[in-house]
Amino acid sequence: MVHWYVLRRFRIKFGMTAKIIMNIESIKSQFPIFKQQTPLGKELIFLDTAASAQKPQTVIDAISSFYSGYYANTGRGSYWPANAATNSFEKAREKVAQFIHAQYPEEIVFTSGTTDAINKLAKAHFEHLLRPGDQLIVSEMEHHANLIPWQELAKRTGAQIKALPVDQEGQVSLSDLSALLAQRTVLVAITATSNVLGSKLDVAQISKRAHQEGAQVFVDAAQAIAHAKTDVQHWDCDFMAFSAHKLYGPTGFGVLYGKREWLDQMEPLSYGGGMITRVGITSAKYLRKSPHKHEAGTQHIAGAIGLGAAIDFVQEIGINEIEAYLDGLTQYALAKLKNIDLLDVKGGMERAPVIAFTVEGIHPHDLATFLNEKGISVRAGHHCAQPLMTKLNVHATTRASFGIYNTKADVDALTDAIEEAKAFFL
Amino acid sequence: MKDRIKALYQTHILVKSKDNTLVGQLADATHSLEAYNPMCGDKYTLHLKLSEGRIEKASFEGFGCAISKASTAILTEMIIGKSLVQIKPIVDDFLELINGESKKDPESITNDDQLLAFAAARAFPERRTCASLSWEELDSLIDEMN
Repeated sequence: MVHWYVLRRFRIKFGMTAKIIMNIESIKSQFPIFKQQTPLGKELIFLDTAASAQKPQTVIDAISSFYSGYYANTGRGSYWPANAATNSFEKAREKVAQFIHAQYPEEIVFTSGTTDAINKLAKAHFEHLLRPGDQLIVSEMEHHANLIPWQELAKRTGAQIKALPVDQEGQVSLSDLSALLAQRTVLVAITATSNVLGSKLDVAQISKRAHQEGAQVFVDAAQAIAHAKTDVQHWDCDFMAFSAHKLYGPTGFGVLYGKREWLDQMEPLSYGGGMITRVGITSAKYLRKSPHKHEAGTQHIAGAIGLGAAIDFVQEIGINEIEAYLDGLTQYALAKLKNIDLLDVKGGMERAPVIAFTVEGIHPHDLATFLNEKGISVRAGHHCAQPLMTKLNVHATTRASFGIYNTKADVDALTDAIEEAKAFFL
Repeated sequence: MKDRIKALYQTHILVKSKDNTLVGQLADATHSLEAYNPMCGDKYTLHLKLSEGRIEKASFEGFGCAISKASTAILTEMIIGKSLVQIKPIVDDFLELINGESKKDPESITNDDQLLAFAAARAFPERRTCASLSWEELDSLIDEMN
């Protein structure tokens, strides 16, 4: 079965209207996991991309060919393959910078993921800025990764955490933000896209408002990165982080973006080899410039190369095209899910391809087990966002989320299976 | 598919998951145990009235999936009137019953139909903690009291 999707029309030079057509089956065929069946002999219908995206063959090959073709440590050897490895590693940095519209590649610091980036940023930068009584603002819908490191930082510094309220659609209001900013605030740490409600925040406006009051802005782009254009200059955020694995890239690798002046000014994110100039027994001098002052020790070189390949994969299709396609699929899914009796979709209509819902009388884990028997992978639980669950007055939800390999047929399989689950459990 | 899922959610489990007979607080409870799975958010509180090593009364409150609720309801029902010494081997047997790595045949462990219903959890390792949640909490209490 071949699904052809007309994505959008655009006017080309000669005044003709052309259609960009994306063949999802052909894209899906680039993901080897879908070539096999589940242990129960079903086709895999993967609806948990918000947790982690599947990997295209090009990413797997890029990692494999680094290990088998030109493996060596980076930045140290003046021989082949060390120089080839270094080139690929630094090329990945340039690709990331271009992908997120950073001004300079030096603004891209490699980490082991979003969580690692936030923990390090809290310690190396904000810990030195916070005084007792200062404020940190987070929203009520942050992933635990963008909450707990700040809680710990507040404990260490005597600062206070304030919660920016979110409404039922997962939006925040600038007037609430302004009210909170009346107190001396050092940082506003906010997600670009909710991993539960899918809501997309107006980061540029939040940034502007925070900056007017002298606060810095950190954006958690873990959920946003794969579904829409990321432009850190438009956002005007001071820092941003994302993980490679949510962008069809490898696990254990991610990025901390920071404005160059901050990254050059702040303390190193970690200490060890590769970030020093001179070392004695009792003291050492460090590199002053980002990114290498922040990247101590041997880096996850294959991770960087894999992320570079993932960005190539995404750009080959086009991030705007991916957004348009997944938006259409999400609207289709929302319409179908909302038609199911006893099913309650959390959040609003305008959203990233993430849909959390409850079915009255069926616990999310029971539903997830039932769906798994049919080869359908969904997530059940609190999605690492317990404060939001409390706000929504639910203990857990079932979450379906989409990637570039999902089709309307996957949504149909989901909604059909939910109806069957209702017949079974209720 | 239907057979596997039917085995997991046997009538005993579906019925017990909706049985609220023992749901509630216990005014004269001597012990309250919290059984909480932070990975999924399932949470139950077992209220016990213990007297001279015997559970005189028991009730539970909380929320979670059908499997965790049924297993908590059956546990609560089963322990009333028994001494901790009597309960300990039943808890051990139950944990063995749901353990996918156990070499023992479920029928050789118990002949209680309600408990045997949970043996299907062996084929669903990701749901084992749902079945064991409250039982492990009670097991810890018994160990502590010894």
